[in-house]
Amino acid sequence: MADPRGRPRQAGLPPWYLAPWYPAFWYLALLCLALPAMPAFAAPLDRAILAGALCGDGAAQVGAAEGLVRAGGDLPADDLAYAGRLLGALVERRLACLPDGALLLVGQNAPEGQDAVTGARRPAAEARAPVLGLRQRAAVETARGVVALLTEGTPAARAAGLAVLERRITIVPAAVLDRARDAESDAALKGTIASLAEAAALSSPDPVRRRAAIAAVAASPSGAAAARLDALKSDPAYRADPAFRVALDAGLAQVRRAVAIGDGLAIVYNGLSFASILFMAAAGLAIIFGLMGVINLAQGEFIMLGAYTTYGVQEAFRRFVPGLLDLYLVAAIPLAFVAVALVGIGVEALVLRHLYRRPLMSLLATWAVSLFLVNLVRVTVGTQNLQFSMPAYVSGGVPVYADFVMTWNRLFAIGFAGATLILTLLILRRTPLGLDIRAVTQNRDMAACLGLPTRRIDRLAFGLGSGLAGLAGVALCPIYSVNPGMGSGFIVDSFMVVVLGGVGSLIGTLVAAVAVGGANVLIEPISGAVAAKVIVLVGIILFLQRRPEGLFAVRRRR
Amino acid sequence: MTHLTRRSFVGAAALLAAPALIRPSFAADPVKLGCLFSSSGTMANLEGRLNHVVRMAADEINGRGGVNGRQIEVLTSDPASDWPLYAQVGRQMLQQEKVAALFGCWTSVSRKSVLPVVEQNDGLLFYPLHFEGDENSKNVVYMNSPPASSVLPAVDYLMGPEGVGAKRFFMIGSDYVWPRTINKQLKGYWKSKGIPETAWREEYVPFGFSNFQTLVNQVRSFASQPGGQAIVVLTVVGSSIPDFLREFANQGVTATDVPILGLDMVEADLEGLDTAKLVGHLNCWAYLQAAKGERNKKFLGDWAAYVKAKNVPFSADTVIDPMVSAYDSVHLWALAAAKAGSFAVPEVRQAFANLSFDDPSGYTLTMTGENNYVSRGVFIGSVNEKRGFDVLWQSADAPKPVPFSPYG
Repeated sequence: MADPRGRPRQAGLPPWYLAPWYPAFWYLALLCLALPAMPAFAAPLDRAILAGALCGDGAAQVGAAEGLVRAGGDLPADDLAYAGRLLGALVERRLACLPDGALLLVGQNAPEGQDAVTGARRPAAEARAPVLGLRQRAAVETARGVVALLTEGTPAARAAGLAVLERRITIVPAAVLDRARDAESDAALKGTIASLAEAAALSSPDPVRRRAAIAAVAASPSGAAAARLDALKSDPAYRADPAFRVALDAGLAQVRRAVAIGDGLAIVYNGLSFASILFMAAAGLAIIFGLMGVINLAQGEFIMLGAYTTYGVQEAFRRFVPGLLDLYLVAAIPLAFVAVALVGIGVEALVLRHLYRRPLMSLLATWAVSLFLVNLVRVTVGTQNLQFSMPAYVSGGVPVYADFVMTWNRLFAIGFAGATLILTLLILRRTPLGLDIRAVTQNRDMAACLGLPTRRIDRLAFGLGSGLAGLAGVALCPIYSVNPGMGSGFIVDSFMVVVLGGVGSLIGTLVAAVAVGGANVLIEPISGAVAAKVIVLVGIILFLQRRPEGLFAVRRRR
Repeated sequence: MTHLTRRSFVGAAALLAAPALIRPSFAADPVKLGCLFSSSGTMANLEGRLNHVVRMAADEINGRGGVNGRQIEVLTSDPASDWPLYAQVGRQMLQQEKVAALFGCWTSVSRKSVLPVVEQNDGLLFYPLHFEGDENSKNVVYMNSPPASSVLPAVDYLMGPEGVGAKRFFMIGSDYVWPRTINKQLKGYWKSKGIPETAWREEYVPFGFSNFQTLVNQVRSFASQPGGQAIVVLTVVGSSIPDFLREFANQGVTATDVPILGLDMVEADLEGLDTAKLVGHLNCWAYLQAAKGERNKKFLGDWAAYVKAKNVPFSADTVIDPMVSAYDSVHLWALAAAKAGSFAVPEVRQAFANLSFDDPSGYTLTMTGENNYVSRGVFIGSVNEKRGFDVLWQSADAPKPVPFSPYG
């Protein structure tokens, strides 16, 4: 073991690892015993051997798990459930291995546990909880999928097991799927299992079943399905059997078309999601910059404050109404808006009010505000990334079509941006405040002559713009890491969007956000993320050379 | 003018970031050590911790009576994740504050910018990160491992039968010297193993990049192509790491589909993530928090007590390799200075030969007179549900470091 680059070994193996309790052939014995070729005997599982193998080395663990997958179709239900408990404990590191047996612990590092075979309580002081390597983890995951599909009580849990098996369908024996299909009471799930079983027969000797399998694989297209079908082209039947060839070519064409469409959808979705983030970050700026001509460099920090408010709401929910914790994101929406709007109004009243005639000074002052806010948060809360508990509606994703997965957190941001857009437009177009803001934006002096309190409108508009940044903070919580420095990344992008869209135009900001987001997403796969940023920036500069007022200029007199 | 403004800005930022900037010195004439770790910008969450751990080590040494009869005073700064600023602050520390040694830098680009400064002033920089190697300055002490004793064992593990038998590789890195050099060496290594060029892809993103949807889509389609098991070799740094992991998990890719080898991934990057869907992804370091042994237990306890006592704005339960490496480096420096009986850099450097230190990882750190590399153990960690890493594999002993890679 002197050579560090030599064969890796399992970490921390105690000396009794080589003790006779762990002969390597035990798991081989399990394999033989579990061969599906002996369904007539339906041999029960030898629990001691299983426990021993799961406590053995990596190869023994893989062997045991694969043996379970192969034998799964024939094992009695209580044996499967037992194996499921053991495997679950192994994955969660609650399976503690002793020289003469294995213990099931209640939690990790519990002082004592139940003997895996006899059920007696025993101390776990000297026990070792094995860490699963990747290969072992994959095998154990598949075995747990088999157990879940065959023994779980609810259709949802069985479907989760099936989803695991679907990823590794090539190693799942037909017997498991057949048994699951026959036992399934839920009609929809039964159908899914049946089509999966049909698709699993790709290498069946029966040409009819094989063609049906090709059709079944093609019916649920993905990159992996394309690879599976493509591999069949080297099959002798592809040359010999014209019907097979036609079926395969048709299936492959169908899958490839679907994958291309799925990829297209993914590009649209990625572009929209990036655009929604850009828009959220830039919307407040568009109002502030458009109305007052103040370059607010603290806008990114207002976003950060919105995210921290969300965190505060989460902590309050956790303490006072833990039952409703999942709703904290929704509750944070008005709170983040109000809290950050108040901060914005405070900044305007204390600092910016005095600097309206000096734009350069107001730029520096807002930069100072941004440094102050970052360090204030750093000293009071800390620099670490905040821990958010993500409700189900913003974590994970759902496969929509082919390889296109719609991730909930991005969908949340897109919906959020849409709602913000509509609300802001309504405020600007349909309320007295909006009318005032538009009047001041178009001609400040004339508005003042007509008796509008322009200073008060400035303050409210600054509050509105800051509040929008607070909302962006809420939308970003499920997507980005929340820490004091998170705001700095947004400021350049948001100014780019605001200037490109045309100062003071919300619709312009929207169009610019979609354009910049879309361009980034389109260029990125071709030239890489670094070049994409550069190309987009150069494009914007060239565009502004031709049209300095941006896409949608608000007509104004100063 | 710009020069002055910027410098005073750094001072102000550092003051705000660390209220107790300069500890009151209690010896008449303390010896100064300087830290170059950012407390703002993209690296703040990681580098910020190292300031405190250097102070903790200095406190330990001061508690035992200091070095050569003198107490240690630690100066901190904030280079704000702005690479040229590291050189500027480093020069200031060496020339104005006359620090005996510098402890600093996380990214290789910051080290490369400080390198000419320490060489011109004959200073000493202790660099606590594992890195790309291919550098051997007498003014830098490389506290952590070059690729031959960190990255290659981990890649070997993934390619071997114990790992996943990886055949294809998707490299994603931040766009700077460390990822590019590591990837160049990896490609050379794979070529030497007869793996064709079609088996890998290389993508780079800007610092602080967070929009990983397209890249994760590409990883998924890369993995579904035939040709064997694919893995991701992740060399993005800073806040890009959690953002990548989150997108990866949200798109439903698990470690058993496509494992990620996160070369800069530490326990602190998992803060704020739901790691249940990330279980099994790997990293490789010379220390993991889950390392066994009394020395590690003591270190974890000491850190937790220090965080509590000094009100440090970082987690008391998270300890990462660079923290331990920074801690080790203060002790190694103190050992060398004591052995030399002097704080002069040439004499301290002379004293490095045959120095050894038992560090929290459980291995014994040793240095030879040949170069300023330190030999460390190798750990491969596997992400668990509790935002930590389990030790999946560890080397039997600390391999001798190889500064220059034969593969690139």
